Amino acid sequence: MKRAVLLLLFLAALAFPVVFTLPFPRHVMIMIFLYGALAVAWNILAGYCGQISLGHAVFFGIGAYTSTLLVAKGQLTPWLGMAAGAALAVLVSQLIGYPVFRLRGHYFAIATIAVGEIVQTLVINWDWAGGARGLFVPIKRPDSVVNFQFHQSKAVYYYIALGLLLLALAVTRWLERSRHGYYFRAIREDQDAAASLGVHVAREKHRAIAVSAALTALGGTFYAQYVFFIDPESVFPLSLSILICLIAVLGGVGTLWGPVLGAAVLVPLSEGTRVWLGGTGKALDLLIYGGLIMVIATLQPAGLMGLARRFRRAP
Amino acid sequence: MTLFVALAFALILAVPGPAPAQPKDVVIGVIYPMSGPAAQAGIDNKPVFEIAAEIANGTTDLPFPFYQRLKGMPGLKGARVRLIFADHQGKPDVGQAEVERMFTQEKVHAVVCCWHSNVTAAASQAAERMGMPFFNAESSSPGLTARGFQWFFRSSPHDGHFTQVMFDFFRDFQAKRGVKLRTLGLTYEDTTFGADSGKVEKELAARYGYEVVLDLQYRARATSLQSEVQRLKAANPDVWMPTSYQTDAILFVRTSRELDYNPKMIMAQNAGHISSDFVKEVGREAEGTLTRAPFSTDLIDRRPVAKALNAIYAKRAGKDLYDFPARAFTGMMTLLDAINRAGATDPEAIRRALVATNIPGDQLIMTWDGVKFDATGQNTGVKGIILQMQGGKYHTVYPFDAATRDVLYPIPQWKDRK
Repeated sequence: MKRAVLLLLFLAALAFPVVFTLPFPRHVMIMIFLYGALAVAWNILAGYCGQISLGHAVFFGIGAYTSTLLVAKGQLTPWLGMAAGAALAVLVSQLIGYPVFRLRGHYFAIATIAVGEIVQTLVINWDWAGGARGLFVPIKRPDSVVNFQFHQSKAVYYYIALGLLLLALAVTRWLERSRHGYYFRAIREDQDAAASLGVHVAREKHRAIAVSAALTALGGTFYAQYVFFIDPESVFPLSLSILICLIAVLGGVGTLWGPVLGAAVLVPLSEGTRVWLGGTGKALDLLIYGGLIMVIATLQPAGLMGLARRFRRAP
Repeated sequence: MTLFVALAFALILAVPGPAPAQPKDVVIGVIYPMSGPAAQAGIDNKPVFEIAAEIANGTTDLPFPFYQRLKGMPGLKGARVRLIFADHQGKPDVGQAEVERMFTQEKVHAVVCCWHSNVTAAASQAAERMGMPFFNAESSSPGLTARGFQWFFRSSPHDGHFTQVMFDFFRDFQAKRGVKLRTLGLTYEDTTFGADSGKVEKELAARYGYEVVLDLQYRARATSLQSEVQRLKAANPDVWMPTSYQTDAILFVRTSRELDYNPKMIMAQNAGHISSDFVKEVGREAEGTLTRAPFSTDLIDRRPVAKALNAIYAKRAGKDLYDFPARAFTGMMTLLDAINRAGATDPEAIRRALVATNIPGDQLIMTWDGVKFDATGQNTGVKGIILQMQGGKYHTVYPFDAATRDVLYPIPQWKDRK
């Protein structure tokens, strides 16, 4: 039954661009996939391993900047840039890990905010990388897969974003069943108990952040190639880190599908209310958006996944 | 889960868009920040855009030839102008998606967007790719018109023009008063704004033969500027040119008083020196400070067009016209004029009409030479103005024919002030 539903959803996702040909519905779906993938990646570190990070924009920005700098200054295809960005994000995540993993709970979360702010400030002052003015991805025509640029239609972006989400889900699924997945959850439940049972806590945390950072960086490269313009304010902000966290928490932390569900509800909600009421200048859309988040969070602290489970249990 | 996705989609697809445009309507997408830190810009601009549309529709009257000619859009045989507003929240990706949505779903004929330079940078690429007219009324990053775009038009000055007007002022002021200004002292804060400003000021100083006797970058978040002011005092330039944000601008004034530094002329780069907190906190002490600006509220009474518009605007917005709505209005009227002359709403006709734009300066609310676009889409008729703090308020002092006050020079010494 569950498999049949998933298969149906997958087929629906594949068929979507055929049915909806206008750019905006496709854009909304692309954003669902992108933010879904980011939230799934965040969930590996925060949901499974219990390390709440509020600095994931750092990895997103590294992905965006690495590929864009390689395209703009080195004429390298963004696909290589994507791999390089992921590798660099892993390296940075390990460096960040050493000091911040010594902290627990709230202190860890605060430290990741600080790291995010420091990195954003550094990039703002880095003239070679465009500084506060940002960078353009040089436009190349015609459309080509090698250049990762598609100007005629959003369909290709759509499938790439879907691929990113499926990749993040597959990695999570694999981790869930592997030895490391169990270590992660043991650390989340009780770090000291896990250590006493022989789990190498520090090493496992580093593994979790490495996987999480790499997947987040892939999303960053995708964003840069999709929007064609990046600046520190759009790819390194604290608000992005918080949005990723919000999507995962609202959907259900520590579950495979929770973050996807969160993105599937929050992104259309945010875009829909903005398009509907944003032009009034009275911020009504944000009031409704915020109000609904509060309702869900109050009524269903386990996230939307908790709600979905309750539905399933009912006859 | 299917249920949620279905529900979510029902929500976004059920959002009631306006009825499809009748062929006679001219539809313009207006995409501004309406939430977030810069929301005030979008909110203050909205009434002025609506007034612009009403002028074209003939329901509001501005009794000057340029606006009268537009009445009822005669070029399109009485088509009605309809505006669709949207919020980009200050985010480049949202701005870009919104431009695409406007053109494909709302079927707009042109967009006016975006205020933030970075949102404009991203959003204008979408229009360029689609081959649709993109009009910008206020983003000041010089790079925007250096991209070789065909569909991008900017009616407002960029940072290069703003600095140019300072040097034009130096030249004209020396000729008028017979004084000599030879040396400049530059102090600028250490983020992009200051770094860019310092760079342009140095270039222009070299071009016009001024000697830079002090070139000093300082920490924007400094809590003491004692050593900076001491160096200024030692160098004693003819003109001190600070580029500062708010807190550092205020600190500079207080430290100057403390250390008895008496600059003869101060020429500031807008921003901190024009912020309402600066005026409120140290307006009296900062007597004589000059700053560049694109528009000034005290000019309204001097310009009949601005006065007539302000009478309508103030009633709706509850405040006088100022820089942002003034530039927004000028931009929208330029676009409407082009569409009227095009006599059609297809993108190429509008683009060609925009290229041929030529609005005389006396019909504008701005103190510009007019509106005329060069090959990059930049208005070449722009002109900044210079304001001076006198009696705790900014007044226009340059260009001299638009001035409401004479330039106060030299600035009185601290010991001579009450």
